[in-house]
Amino acid sequence: MAGRVKKKREQTEYFFDYTLLFVILFLLGFGLIMIYSVSSYEAYAKYNDAAYFLKKQLLSGILGLIAMIVVANIPYHFWARFSELGYLVSAILVIMVPFFGVEANGAKRWLPIPGIGLTIQPAEVAKLCMILFLANLVCSMGKLIRQPRGMIFLMLTAIPMVVLVWKLTNNLSSAIIILGISVFMIFVASPDYKLFIILGAIGSAAVGGLLYYISKLNMSDLEGFRFKRILAWMNPEAYASDVGYQTLQSLYAIGSGGVVGKGLGQSMQKLGFIPEAQNDMIFSIICEELGLFGAIIIITMFLVLLWRMMLIANNAPDLFGALLVVGVMGHIAIQVILNVAVVTNSIPNTGISLPFISYGGTSVLFLLIEMGLVLNVAKRIQLREA
Amino acid sequence: MSEQRRGSGREPGREQSRENKKQDKKSQRFRIYMQKKLVVLFVLVLLAFLGLGIRLIWISHENGTKYNKEILKQQDYSSVTLPFKRGEIVDSKGVKLAVSEKYYNLVIDASVINYDEKYVEPTLQALEACYPQLDMQEIRKHVTTNKESKYYIPLKLLNFEQKQAFEEYKTAKAEENEKDLIKGIWFEEVYQRIYPHSTLACDVIGFTGKDNTGTYGLEEYYNDILNGTNGREYGYLGDDSLVERTIKPAVDGYTIHSTIDVNIQKIVENKLYEFNEANKNAVREGNGAENVGCIIMEVDTGRILAMASYPNFDLNNIKDPTKLLGNVMVDANGKQTGGYITQADLDAMDDATLYQNLNYLWKNFCISDTYEPGSTAKPFTVATALECGAITGNEVYQCNGKLHIGGHDIHCHVRTGEGAVNVQSSIAWSCNVAMMHMGQAIGKTNFAKFQQIFNFGLKTNVDLAGEARTVDLLFDEKMGDADLATNTFGQNFNVTMIQMVAGFSSLINGGYYYEPHLVDKITDSKGAIVENIEPRVLKQTVSAATSEKLVQYCTAVVMPEGGNQRTGKTARPAGYAIGGKTGTAQTLPRGNKEYVVSFMGFAPADDPEIAIYVVVDRPNAAKQDDAKFATRIVRSVLTEVLPYLNIYMTEELSESEIAELEALQLENTYGKVDETLEQEAMEGLNDGTGQGNTTYEEPEWKSYEKDPATGYLKDPVTGALLDPDTGEVLVGDSIPAIDW
Repeated sequence: MAGRVKKKREQTEYFFDYTLLFVILFLLGFGLIMIYSVSSYEAYAKYNDAAYFLKKQLLSGILGLIAMIVVANIPYHFWARFSELGYLVSAILVIMVPFFGVEANGAKRWLPIPGIGLTIQPAEVAKLCMILFLANLVCSMGKLIRQPRGMIFLMLTAIPMVVLVWKLTNNLSSAIIILGISVFMIFVASPDYKLFIILGAIGSAAVGGLLYYISKLNMSDLEGFRFKRILAWMNPEAYASDVGYQTLQSLYAIGSGGVVGKGLGQSMQKLGFIPEAQNDMIFSIICEELGLFGAIIIITMFLVLLWRMMLIANNAPDLFGALLVVGVMGHIAIQVILNVAVVTNSIPNTGISLPFISYGGTSVLFLLIEMGLVLNVAKRIQLREA
Repeated sequence: MSEQRRGSGREPGREQSRENKKQDKKSQRFRIYMQKKLVVLFVLVLLAFLGLGIRLIWISHENGTKYNKEILKQQDYSSVTLPFKRGEIVDSKGVKLAVSEKYYNLVIDASVINYDEKYVEPTLQALEACYPQLDMQEIRKHVTTNKESKYYIPLKLLNFEQKQAFEEYKTAKAEENEKDLIKGIWFEEVYQRIYPHSTLACDVIGFTGKDNTGTYGLEEYYNDILNGTNGREYGYLGDDSLVERTIKPAVDGYTIHSTIDVNIQKIVENKLYEFNEANKNAVREGNGAENVGCIIMEVDTGRILAMASYPNFDLNNIKDPTKLLGNVMVDANGKQTGGYITQADLDAMDDATLYQNLNYLWKNFCISDTYEPGSTAKPFTVATALECGAITGNEVYQCNGKLHIGGHDIHCHVRTGEGAVNVQSSIAWSCNVAMMHMGQAIGKTNFAKFQQIFNFGLKTNVDLAGEARTVDLLFDEKMGDADLATNTFGQNFNVTMIQMVAGFSSLINGGYYYEPHLVDKITDSKGAIVENIEPRVLKQTVSAATSEKLVQYCTAVVMPEGGNQRTGKTARPAGYAIGGKTGTAQTLPRGNKEYVVSFMGFAPADDPEIAIYVVVDRPNAAKQDDAKFATRIVRSVLTEVLPYLNIYMTEELSESEIAELEALQLENTYGKVDETLEQEAMEGLNDGTGQGNTTYEEPEWKSYEKDPATGYLKDPVTGALLDPDTGEVLVGDSIPAIDW
């Protein structure tokens, strides 16, 4: 709306979103502190170096910040030409995982980068490439987007990647996130509401029916691991020694934190009770150490981040830029919601990391690249003259 | 929608101005409807965040306290109890009667073994190699099926060598493989109570279970002193958030030093055993008597040198039912039923019956069982009469065999009567009629008062658990005439052995009632003295003159001066003069021909050092009312105990007695001068130079000149003054203040 005012080009003042930058840096810095607090005990026990995880994450964070600055200074239209290629490359990377992947924590999700001894998680690449691909596709569809078949076509292009990530890397969480990002972007791009409401209703009914079916099953009938997780979600105490363990320990952590928490570094649950707490369960330790107060501040910071992105998208100079921001926004929103929901046992346990805060190099690197894109879009917003 | 289209179409100019030459798709705008939908999505996200925030608050509010407890519960692993070592029980010479030894329980932590597949086989192999007694199939099954199990004990009470064998094997394997693959095996320290002499002094010692709680005897009475304080190994979070460990060591319990002398105790127990062997199965299938007890006590200190009863039990195997064979059967109240336990009874016994009989076996007969003392009470009656002036000691009574009192004819043990009986003979011959006359002279009030003075009806407070309560088992001054009459010769009131021996000691030691005790020293685990328990005089029961008379009267029971009718001559050990009193008490119901026979004595007669009391409860004989069952035990015990106590013989020995001593390999000490005593005196003066000399020499100091000023002897070399009687060098304050 700012752009509606007539102005001269030389007088244009470009916008830089300092609030967004501050929130990003705050979350990153806070994440590093929490990773040290949470992981130092296990790191010392396993690697004889309390800062083992901190150092690795710091390196990823610095790399990510550099990448963010670089990306923030490249006009985002530059990336449009790579959208199809990116989709293809990320698909290939995902396909490579079953053959060349390395295992960690019992899951094969990482690809080694030859020569430098680092690994990369193709699912994270796929998220970014999906945002780019869909943003570009919507722009090239023109008026087709206003018709239901355009919308269905967009869906169909996203589904293969979702299925690949789910089946080949056995990573339901990332698949859900990619699907979520796609739905998020398509919902914004398409003028239709009815179809989404119907889809949402069908989805909810299906989930409800499935849950009812599972809750009626006997233990002996349960073959699938995920069914058991759903039962553990319904009654974590009954599965305390099994799949419910992590959830229950996480609830203990949250419950014991109280309003202001036990104090930074004072968590007891990180002492081996929540294994690898610096990953997906870091939010529960935040609750334990900093209490509801700390947890609500973190949630608020994410809300500010999303709010800034909404503003940037709504003021973006063009559709492509806006959709890029919408995609990133969807990515972060979905991941935060799902992570907190898992930690509080609001949904069944599935491994989803908390953006910027959870330990994980690829995740932080790609999130920061996405933030670079957002910042670049923000820079293109023309402010009216003072 | 049409509005939105219009909106987008309204501003082509601006787009063209910016991206004039770009492709068409780049000139598309982010339309209003898209902005609206984005806001809708943001609101949805906001609601989701709000929901999660409420969920967080709810978890914290609803379960905060509970979850906090759960977390603290989980922390338990970081705190380990270090067990203390229970103190020892040793005898007066330091011989260990009860010790706690450290053993190790083998603990398998299957969760650690299963942490990595590669640990399983090496660990199982190590167990098999070090402990061939293990059932490896069972262990393998446990480890592979219970993968979360942390605590499984397949082997208990391993000694240090057995534990060390495993540690060495593990170290050797770790060097061989260059890494340690043997995991999840550790050893838990436990203490096991061991009684090195198994049955010896079992009643006195008592026993201790796994929980360090003593049951019966010294173990129970001194439980708190024997027990220490558990230590703890704490885990806590240090400044760097790492678990740090700190150890608060266990404090071991104190050692108690008993007055029991193992050698005397052994002699006593051997004699009780011999008695049982000689008399068992005589007229009935079973032991030589329902119970036999013996106490030996130092009369001038109250120290118990030996306390034993038969049947006994093995302290290391307290529940061994075979120890019940031949014992008298007891009912649910612990009362003797008169039946005797046979193998068939044992086989048929249910647990409750088994335990009530075991309980009866574990009880200390010498302090827990009450009975009518019979004639051993007569010295107390005579002492009472002398003390309250009812008799002078010169009385003579006429015994016609019975006396009519309170509507009953009460008989003497000699039904035909014993004729003229003086006070000494009333004890020496054990005349009931004379006692009854004395009782009438004493009166009920004085009799009851003196029973209290002799501590009958009261606890002696001996330091053993389980002393019987007898307060309801005797009469007060409102007793009937017949009660007084029968009480004078020890019927119709109940006592415990410890009451009798403690009271009797006071009668013969000049009247000092010492509290009987079994522990005279408590030391800590390093041997430092914590407490010395000195002999405690509780009261004066009789005067020294009365005591002297009673020594004389009781000596007449055993020694020839008592005349031919004396009852205790069979108690005299070869070569010694002793005194004492026999007892033959009828049991209830009267006329059942069942008796408790006893002998209570002291030795030597001229200067009593020890008191001995033997009670035979219902001997296994057709004719039970024979005090010789008890006197023979006393004789055989004293024959060995008196030489052990370095008491020299004072009586001439007959040929047969000399032969008896030779058979027992005991020295004939009759007529020997007590060299040790005199040598000890000399050693004290000559700094040991007189050692080995058998002839007595005048000490050197006797020849010193008398110092005219002080009257003391003066050492010509040092100038020191010596006491002319003892030769002690006078120092410091002990020199009388005299102007030099």
